[in-house]
Amino acid sequence: MNASLLSLEWMILGGGLVFLLLDLWTPAGKKRSLGYAAAALVAVTLVWSFRVDASTPQLAFNDGYVLDALALFFKRFFLIATIGVLLMSVDFADQFQAGIGEYYSLILFALGGMMLAASANDFTMLFVSIELITVTFYVLTSFLRHKTPSLEAGIKYLILGALSSGVMVYGIALVFGSSGTMKFGELAEKAAGLTHQKVFLIGALFLVAGLAFKISAFPFHVWTPDVYEGSPSPTTAFLAVGSKAAGFVLLLRFLFVAMPHAVVAEWSRVLMVMSGVTILYGNLCAIPQRSLKRLLGYSSISNGGYMLLGVAAMSHEGSTAVLYYLSGYLFTVLAGFLVISIVVRQLGSDDLKAIAGLHRRSPLLATALTLAMVSLAGVPPLAGFFGKFLLLKSVLEQGSSYYWLMAVAVVGVVISISYYLGVVRAIYWSDRPIEPKELILGAPMRIALYACVLGMLYLGLFPNFTLELASRATGVLKF
Amino acid sequence: MATQIENIAWWILLLPLLSAVGITLFTLRFHKLSAQISIAAVSVSFLLSLLLFVALPGSAFSVSASWIHVADLSIDFRLILDPLSKLMLLVVTGVGMLIHIYSYGYLHDDRSLSRYFASLSLFTFSMLGIVLASNFVMMFIFWELVGVSSYLLIGFWYEKASAADACKKAFLTNRVGDFGFILGILVVWAALGSLEFDQLKAVLAAHPGKLGAMAGVGGLLVFCGAMGKSAQFPLHVWLPDAMEGPTPVSALIHAATMVAAGVYMLCRTFFLFQATPAWPEALAFLHGWTALDIIAWIGGATALMAALMAVQQDDIKRILAYSTLSQLGYMVMAVGLSGPSPAMYHLTTHAFFKAMLFLGAGSVIHACHHEQNIWRMGGLFRKMPITSWTFLLGALALCGVQPLSGFYSKDAILAQAMEHSLPLFGLAMGVAGLTTFYMFRLVFVAFFGKERGEQAAHAHESPGIMTWPLRALAFFTVASGVMGIDHFIAGAFAAGGHEAASLSFAEALMAPFAHSPAAAFLGLFATMLGLSAAWACYGAADADPLPQRFGSIAQTMRHRFYFDEMYEEAIRLTHDAIASVADWIDRWLISGLLVRGAHGSFEVFGRFLRLLQSGNLQTYAFLLVAGLLAIIYLSFSH
Repeated sequence: MNASLLSLEWMILGGGLVFLLLDLWTPAGKKRSLGYAAAALVAVTLVWSFRVDASTPQLAFNDGYVLDALALFFKRFFLIATIGVLLMSVDFADQFQAGIGEYYSLILFALGGMMLAASANDFTMLFVSIELITVTFYVLTSFLRHKTPSLEAGIKYLILGALSSGVMVYGIALVFGSSGTMKFGELAEKAAGLTHQKVFLIGALFLVAGLAFKISAFPFHVWTPDVYEGSPSPTTAFLAVGSKAAGFVLLLRFLFVAMPHAVVAEWSRVLMVMSGVTILYGNLCAIPQRSLKRLLGYSSISNGGYMLLGVAAMSHEGSTAVLYYLSGYLFTVLAGFLVISIVVRQLGSDDLKAIAGLHRRSPLLATALTLAMVSLAGVPPLAGFFGKFLLLKSVLEQGSSYYWLMAVAVVGVVISISYYLGVVRAIYWSDRPIEPKELILGAPMRIALYACVLGMLYLGLFPNFTLELASRATGVLKF
Repeated sequence: MATQIENIAWWILLLPLLSAVGITLFTLRFHKLSAQISIAAVSVSFLLSLLLFVALPGSAFSVSASWIHVADLSIDFRLILDPLSKLMLLVVTGVGMLIHIYSYGYLHDDRSLSRYFASLSLFTFSMLGIVLASNFVMMFIFWELVGVSSYLLIGFWYEKASAADACKKAFLTNRVGDFGFILGILVVWAALGSLEFDQLKAVLAAHPGKLGAMAGVGGLLVFCGAMGKSAQFPLHVWLPDAMEGPTPVSALIHAATMVAAGVYMLCRTFFLFQATPAWPEALAFLHGWTALDIIAWIGGATALMAALMAVQQDDIKRILAYSTLSQLGYMVMAVGLSGPSPAMYHLTTHAFFKAMLFLGAGSVIHACHHEQNIWRMGGLFRKMPITSWTFLLGALALCGVQPLSGFYSKDAILAQAMEHSLPLFGLAMGVAGLTTFYMFRLVFVAFFGKERGEQAAHAHESPGIMTWPLRALAFFTVASGVMGIDHFIAGAFAAGGHEAASLSFAEALMAPFAHSPAAAFLGLFATMLGLSAAWACYGAADADPLPQRFGSIAQTMRHRFYFDEMYEEAIRLTHDAIASVADWIDRWLISGLLVRGAHGSFEVFGRFLRLLQSGNLQTYAFLLVAGLLAIIYLSFSH
């Protein structure tokens, strides 16, 4: 086994342990610096990742771990997301009553899980990495121990997460039982003869259901709004970006590496229905929401649906579009949650009323949130537009049997505009009296916001570089 | 790639944009820094243009960068750098740089100075985009950007109602022209299947008849764009009102750049007008005419009308505005007479001396504490020697007095007219006489005689930051006629790209007399006539004698032939009619049925769905398992 393949994971997981210890000796007033140090570690790891060569797939752990372009793309994605989340948590930390240092460590452990998930190449690694992510999140969601909604979120996530893990393990057992292998590579060959064996198919479907839970696709989305609303803002952001992306990379690998093509082709209708319903459900439910976090929760469901379009297209272009969309989504959602976390912390509420007149109190926050909403609504020249364009294009290229799905997606976009612009309206044209108090932003938050805004614009205006990376990453998938 | 000298074209284009973005984002509160950034950006652009011009004067090439490249969809940005665009780069950045510097003196205590410089940089960027555009799409994008940034600049003092109205008027009038322009672009695209200038040119050179019956219509539609930007009849009404903007803005966009964009576009796409002329059935009455004929007559009509209007204006900037209209008419006429190279030549010299005249007017206005009526000035010559001398020089150049640059470029147009159309030559001659008449009316009244106003009595010379740009422009006003610009342009338009032999200084000085003596002498004669008439009427006048002598004619000229009133009435009537229909559609169909209907039904649906999200954990678990079963059923059901 080549341990150096896992250098990035070692850095992060080792770092998590070190921070756990450091927490013991850091005086209470200085815990904040631990967060910055953790962010710096992640940033260094990100830089280091450019020294990692993944041009040809390399295997470790008895073929359970693979380092290829797809894995590296997602690892970098998770690293960038985590920097944003860590900066957000430093700002948010004074809301926690205890265990600030542990919060940073847990984020690093979850990151480690996500990075392993990006490289998962057999069912053991898949399950272990998912559990590493999920179990960490059980704690992260209920970290505001003195607040009932946070505890409620944690319990709900724990029970529903356990249920879905149970389904997934059962699925793995069935697949292993019928095929006799845990490895993705071997399964693809062996399963060619199993395409009509019901036990195998049900097992595989259970697995898909477990992953659909992660990306909150209908009908496995039920936990999302409650957990998003109750969790601390940084956790919610991490759930929306990191956990969802981990679900997608596993889904892509499972469908297009492990499963035989004949089976997956059979499922395209199921995936299409799932993505169509997810888009409509998320968008429709978001309309009456008044809580920003809950609204973004539903928006996250619908966005999962859009990305599922690219999976359902079952083509290289479709998967590339998913990766591109995720990249844009990363900056957009981080920007949104950065603003929300500041608003929640300083105003104590995430109600739409709280952001009335935000442009007078902090132009930067208002601009960032507006751009995020506009990007989510898919307006050019921001990242969201080009992402949706690519996803729809990939669906369109699959022929006329997909046209209804196109129509559903477009209707979804139209509906979504109404609530995204509702947020913008709440900022600029609210008739509520505006409090004159200026909102205070620290330099790290400011930088993070600028970075997110630039990221949205960069991806929207100059999509080439990222597309190239995404296209190379999805080259390892088979269609 | 990055080391190639051609790539500095990107910097020329992007520096002003960077300056606009930088000022808007970071230095809005630091006026001096903003001004420095903006001036530095345009100066470096100018130096780079100069470098490009000196290093690669005659060659034509282009640089491109791919913007979006996804499988079969590929969109490129390409900058075209031929002699035409390189000359124009120099004019735009050179004159632009002087005006940037002057602006800082003129507006130094304005409280929105940063916003001013940001808009100015944005404008420069857009204008450079037009110059460097390699296809119709890019040109149209920058065309609109010029519209937007001129809107910002004309309406810079938006607290003034007249400025706010003027910028709206300019923008909307331009939009009318642009609508025609984009239709023209679509016609070209539909007929030839490409929008790249190079390809279009090659296609039309090989098959001049390929545009078919749409040749005339397409050409005229494209000309519509020029009609808006270059303020040609009947879309000329915005330009005089646009004088509400700060004077340096008038100098930049209404003398040297924006209004020149139309003429430049016509020269750039001149190949379109060389296609075999033809008209569709519905326009059969136009047979025997070409699109160019119509363009020439529109240009001529604009030149004459504007000159007549200028005779009875009292506002120093408005007189210059009408003279700009008139000179633009000359240029458009020259293009229409198949003479893009005289047109470009006049565009270049006009950019220098008209910018100088506007800046001189700005200096006068600055000294007279924002008094713009020439009848309340007078006697400024002794108080403001530099401003007055340069203004006089500009006026002489505009009138076409040898050896100033205006003489040479105007003579080129007169010679072109003489060769192609005698009626237009006569018209052009009349305009030349009128030009001298109204310009010297302005000079005599404002600069000589006795002081007729309190402000004029206390006027004094402007500071060096304003007079130095005047001196620099004065140099070019004198010299640009004999620098060989005409040969350079002629080389650019010549078929084989061969350059005409360069002339010695003495030959260049007298070239018009050698080339077309009749045009040169008649032009000078018209000028003399205008000058003596102006002297007779205004040499020692304290009030305008014309209204008494000519009564209603002078009145009509003063009211600009009542164009604005006519347009206003026509627009009001059609507006009211369209608005009431649109109101009905918007209120009942769009807002009522579509928006409220769709919104309402989605809202009801959303509220219903929310009931599912009860917060009850058992329900959630049940839904999850039910969903799983549904999925399994669905995947086995076929």
